[in-house]
Amino acid sequence: MKNIKTNTGVGKWLPRKFDLEKAAGTLQFADDLRFGPELLHAAVVRSSIPHGEILSIDTAQALEMPGVVKVLVGEDFPHHFGLYLKDRTPMAIGRTRYCGEPVALVVAEDENTAREAVKRVRVNYKKLEAIFDPVKAATTNTVLVHPELHKYEHVDFITPQPNTNIGNWFRIRKGDAEKAFGEADHIFEETVTCPQIAHGFLETLCSICKQDPASGEITIWTSAQSAFTVRDIIAKGIGYPLHKIRVVAPPIGGGFGGKAGMTIEALCLAAAMDKNIAGRPVKLFIPREEVLLTSWVRQGFVAKIELAVNNDGLIQAIRNTFWFDTGISAEYGANPVRSAGYTSMGAYNIPNVWSDCYAVYTNKPFGGAYRGFGLPELMSALEVVIDIAADKLHIDPVEFRKKNLLRKGQTTCTGMPMHDHALDKIIDRVAASLKISQKEPPLRKGWKRGKGIALAIKAPAIPADASSSAIVKLNGDGTVEVLAATMDMGQGTYSAYAQIVSEELGVPYDWIKVYYPDTQSHPYDWQTVASRSCWSMGMAVKRAACDVREKLIALFSEYWQVSCDSISIEYGVIKCRKLGKNERIDERVQNGFKMPDGVLKGGPIIGTGSFTPPDIIYPDIDTGQSAKSVVHFTLGAIGVDMEVDPGTGKIVINRAVAGYDVGKAITPINVRGQIEGGTVQGLSACLMEAMAYDENGKLLTPDFTDYKIATFKDAPAEIEAFWEETPEEISPYGNRGVGEHSMIAPAPATNNALFNATGMRIHSYPLSRERVFKALHAKERGETDFWEWPYALDLAFRKAKKEW
Amino acid sequence: MRDRKIQLNLNGRSVSLVAGDNTTLLHALREYGLTSLKRGCEEGECGACTVIMNGLPEKSCLILVAEAEGADILTVEGLIKDGRLHPIQQSFIDEGAIQCGYCTPGMVMTTYALLLKNPSPDEEEIKEALSGNLCRCTGYLSIVRAVKKSARIMAGLSEGSE
Repeated sequence: MKNIKTNTGVGKWLPRKFDLEKAAGTLQFADDLRFGPELLHAAVVRSSIPHGEILSIDTAQALEMPGVVKVLVGEDFPHHFGLYLKDRTPMAIGRTRYCGEPVALVVAEDENTAREAVKRVRVNYKKLEAIFDPVKAATTNTVLVHPELHKYEHVDFITPQPNTNIGNWFRIRKGDAEKAFGEADHIFEETVTCPQIAHGFLETLCSICKQDPASGEITIWTSAQSAFTVRDIIAKGIGYPLHKIRVVAPPIGGGFGGKAGMTIEALCLAAAMDKNIAGRPVKLFIPREEVLLTSWVRQGFVAKIELAVNNDGLIQAIRNTFWFDTGISAEYGANPVRSAGYTSMGAYNIPNVWSDCYAVYTNKPFGGAYRGFGLPELMSALEVVIDIAADKLHIDPVEFRKKNLLRKGQTTCTGMPMHDHALDKIIDRVAASLKISQKEPPLRKGWKRGKGIALAIKAPAIPADASSSAIVKLNGDGTVEVLAATMDMGQGTYSAYAQIVSEELGVPYDWIKVYYPDTQSHPYDWQTVASRSCWSMGMAVKRAACDVREKLIALFSEYWQVSCDSISIEYGVIKCRKLGKNERIDERVQNGFKMPDGVLKGGPIIGTGSFTPPDIIYPDIDTGQSAKSVVHFTLGAIGVDMEVDPGTGKIVINRAVAGYDVGKAITPINVRGQIEGGTVQGLSACLMEAMAYDENGKLLTPDFTDYKIATFKDAPAEIEAFWEETPEEISPYGNRGVGEHSMIAPAPATNNALFNATGMRIHSYPLSRERVFKALHAKERGETDFWEWPYALDLAFRKAKKEW
Repeated sequence: MRDRKIQLNLNGRSVSLVAGDNTTLLHALREYGLTSLKRGCEEGECGACTVIMNGLPEKSCLILVAEAEGADILTVEGLIKDGRLHPIQQSFIDEGAIQCGYCTPGMVMTTYALLLKNPSPDEEEIKEALSGNLCRCTGYLSIVRAVKKSARIMAGLSEGSE
């Protein structure tokens, strides 16, 4: 029984942990750590061609430079790494697969020398034909990006297709889609494409690795979301015991999935483990213009969606083909494909579902985790198709969505029953707040104004056994230290953990400190991804705090000779009203209590807690069916009021209204922060973001000059952020994740609003000015749909839509 | 490349740095130990290295340290007085205008320069002044709220001192 009083517990608005240090500029990120003059610096030599055999690498001129210590090539560190599929080596070995791929690593006494020496490494290639278009790569085998695909190790739930470019094929076979399509009153067939996009975190990637030359032990300081998964992937990749690898994760400057799994650590480690270098720390700092060439980006996406709807407006079936352009590696990108696949019914009750989701290799930088994990791409397509169907059936788009909503007890496309949620209520509030069915005059002269809505849904796409554990230590003055290996990358998890501890232990929030991850001190956590931390690690932290409370109260119970349930902890003070006792927590919690019988009992109080999702069953490989495929879904909706300048194609967002069913807001300041931030990130992706390449596969948008992200001037004037709290059953406080969800639907909502404003559908993201301008001109010629193949390089496949 | 000695007034103290001709102010100050200035892009795109130089906000990655000879440089480290945060820093915390914190020192310094020039900016002026500072986490709305709040507090403080 919990007998606690606190005013800094779950649900309170409080200042966030570490904001003080962030405002003061004293928080040290990986690049800010200092290692003294022994520190070496690495810089990367990159492939200048998209596909080819490496004939020779001439390092002589680089090695002649004073200060250059070593030049490593792929063969020097021939280990394969990967989270789900080991298809990646830190440097190309024998064959380069994309323009910009690391082919050698220069190690020098200082950073400038390393970068200068990079220019002196000469690489000779024999060019091979490259493939950039995911549909062409998946449907023809003229170029194989990974001829050795059959040799790569992978987890059971990933199904690579050897002798093709398919790194994973995920299927859903629910009901009888073919029959439903045969009998349906209306069939809608649409395609939508999304380009590869960048995370755009402000802190680039940075690692420092060091190996003890005597013991062989490795320490890695790195900008990583998931210290333990870095350790795990490295250990499996190089065949090393876990206890000989220590991963320290200092604060990171934004992640959004781009620092999940293992990114650049193995590349840096290649240098640190070199026998001539071991003992000296090696730093690998990736400059902005090399980030997209070094680690993953959001996958490109081509969706073909067919919807079968009856005259009554009920959706009978959906048939999906999703091509995810995963570039040269599917080690992580294989899983967003599953994530989109087992949510391929959207937020709708659809009895018959047939989905084929492919991770397709191409000769481009590789795809992986990105906030939303497959769902922003999927919803950017599906929520537009839903809008198209509503319009063609002359049903109000809000009514059409509500009519088909996936409600409690109805089954998702994997056959799992949906839990309770408040999506009906959220849709109503969004629609009412925006006056969504009411046409309003534009605020700007000559512009066209429109409103649109889109729904969001996502489950954590985690392995069934992804676990968390935490330690809560009670200090001799009543303050508390929490070891929970979540990375607080801005989402504010440490504030949540402190509020959970305050809620369970009755000590004030200000007395609680949460530390950044270090595998040496912290207990295990899988990853800081999937909007899972407040839920999964939240459970572990809650259990650890309860453990401390029970130990503490048991000791006071014996000390005071009263029952446990007559003792309370109130604002950090231990009380027993019956006895009129009132004592502060002091050194007795470290050194023990002298009990009435004269015996010293207790000692340092440490609480532990762990959590593993208890009941997840992997979807069947052939059908995708599972009684419980995921832990839970977070659902929500966003409405956008926008207007467009037909003269320039510019879109301005007047206002956005977004709400999600978070189960319980542990830290409301962070829930608001996630909704506001994710909405703008989603709008930015919608309106301006795309990676572009020249005909040789060379990236044309490596930095913020050419790759635009939203600035102050692009953010809407107002975002109405709100949430509902329908509690989740297996959860610390009923809470569900919300970190990613706000990014899922701003793009389709805006696209639907553009249609509402202009009568024009754009099937290719981003809705850039140029594209909108061209689309509105096409509208003048009488066209209603505008579709630009993003892979203009492959002219023969520009009309691929028609060939399917 | 030649090393030279640069004298500058850093956060109210006279300091001398030794740096090569092609060293940027960003690198020199980070080497000196001021790591609040971040290497977000080193191309003048992101604003994470913004300092106040002779009263104006400057991206320190675009300035050679030699150009800063004799200059007054203020960084976020210099805003803390007697262990207390500046009202701008405090407002950023109060309004939830900080997430990962990587852009925050640059945002705070650009805000400082704005309020120096224009003590009561309207929303458009705030967005214009800060549009060279990128933030990927917050969506900017909370930062606008923080700047407005800073302006109100600082106006109150200066009225109080009259």
